[in-house]
Amino acid sequence: MEACVPETAEPLVGIVVASHSAKIAEGVVELAGQMAGSEVRLIAAGGAIDGSLGTDAGRIAEAIGQADAGVGVVVLADLGSAVMAAKLALDMVPPETAARTRLSGGPLVEGAVVAAVQASIGDDVAAVVAAAEEAATMPKDVG
Amino acid sequence: MQVAELEVHNKSGLHARPAATFVKTAAGFRSSVSVENLTRGAAAANAKSLLAVLGCGVEMGHRIRVSAEGEDEEAAIAALRTLAEGGFGEAVAG
Repeated sequence: MEACVPETAEPLVGIVVASHSAKIAEGVVELAGQMAGSEVRLIAAGGAIDGSLGTDAGRIAEAIGQADAGVGVVVLADLGSAVMAAKLALDMVPPETAARTRLSGGPLVEGAVVAAVQASIGDDVAAVVAAAEEAATMPKDVG
Repeated sequence: MQVAELEVHNKSGLHARPAATFVKTAAGFRSSVSVENLTRGAAAANAKSLLAVLGCGVEMGHRIRVSAEGEDEEAAIAALRTLAEGGFGEAVAG
């Protein structure tokens, strides 16, 4: 039983937020979850294994496993070495999971929010990762 | 095709959670659904894409046209009308 992972009739694409900071990862997951609702598996993978700032491929791999409902996962990462850790993580998960996981170069916060909302309505992994990338162009009306 | 012209009363317009709520509601129907900001005069956007909806720049007081085409178009428009009248889940400014 995985009490913290909601079950839905239709499996949805999951989202992993990989940040150097556990607080950033948790905060982004909180925000995206507020926007998208509780049906999407949103998993935070932040910080090094000892809780300091950094990334850990094992932690990201575990998060990918938790986020995968069978239809794919989009991983958003904050800085270059988080992307490297996410790539390493893909070698640590089962091949079928890795095959349906996409790394997104989209912005962490905006990308996670947009990806989570698109995932919540049943978009497939290609559409969700495309939305995350496109979030770099999100209008903010700064004038 | 079913069409409704609606006024947006809530403070955030179609941004943040109201935009997400709008997209999730539109996506609950099989019909294709689009939204157009009549006040700004921009092109119609896919109502099932959060980025497309945000791109409409809908603010409080703006009028929007919502169109649905498909087997459940009437239900889709009715649901979106109800949502707009209720401020998209956000408090409606007095």
